[in-house]
Amino acid sequence: MAAFVFLGAVTLYSAWRVATAPLVTHAALFLATTFAGVAGLFFLLQADFLAAVQLLLYAGAVMTVVIFAIMLSEMRDIQEPVVPGWLGTLRSPALGLLPLAGAVLLCVVLLVVYLHGAQGLPGTPLPAPQNSTAFIADVLFNTYAFPFEVASVLLTAAMIGAIVLTRVEGGGRR
Amino acid sequence: MSAGHSIPLVDFLILGALLFCLGLFAALRRSNAIMILMGIEVMLNAVNINLVAFSRYLPRGAARGQGFAVFVLAVAAAEAAVGLALVIIVSRRRGAIAIEAINDMRG
Repeated sequence: MAAFVFLGAVTLYSAWRVATAPLVTHAALFLATTFAGVAGLFFLLQADFLAAVQLLLYAGAVMTVVIFAIMLSEMRDIQEPVVPGWLGTLRSPALGLLPLAGAVLLCVVLLVVYLHGAQGLPGTPLPAPQNSTAFIADVLFNTYAFPFEVASVLLTAAMIGAIVLTRVEGGGRR
Repeated sequence: MSAGHSIPLVDFLILGALLFCLGLFAALRRSNAIMILMGIEVMLNAVNINLVAFSRYLPRGAARGQGFAVFVLAVAAAEAAVGLALVIIVSRRRGAIAIEAINDMRG
């Protein structure tokens, strides 16, 4: 329980800072902390393969891409405009308090639903699988083999798309 | 790992809900395209927490939850690559990535 509370608090606090940190680079670093916290929660749920993938893919690859995008678009030092006044950091420059109200409303609805139905949910986990990697491999390569291939086509298309989009027209040697 | 044994499923669901709402707040509040993408990544992570928790607690969802989480990871990676490529190309052409400035197609 202590590990759950600690990891949950770290994850939620850093997600909060992703939403409110004025500097883009700070938000990116807190995003990395969020990803690491979620990886810890996966470990707690005994999904060790997914925890490792989470660290490699999110905290490694996605963060690298985000930081590259920040550096290449030269907005390292750009600060979000802070709206003065009541609930200053929580206001959106464009939409005012609307984002906060929407998020809080959704949160309240979800909590009411979950706490209302909490009796029907199991309180103890199932016995852990011996080998969670083999467990996932069975799902991916037997049950969902076709979606798996579609996902690989999607990733290839995304990679080619990203290269084509960011290519400098007319520049460089052919 | 004996620490995970006494936590009921609903605790993980509540954590996922809170994380999702924080990501939604980040995505709606920011005017900077990269920050909006970061909020979306946080929301996808919250969904993954729910999926993995279901796979750990519910007998019917056993392996599928983790399989779905892998698919979410793949889609999130594709989204990050294309989204950030768009951010870079817009900033290169306009010199700004505040989304209020990109409204050429507004009717």
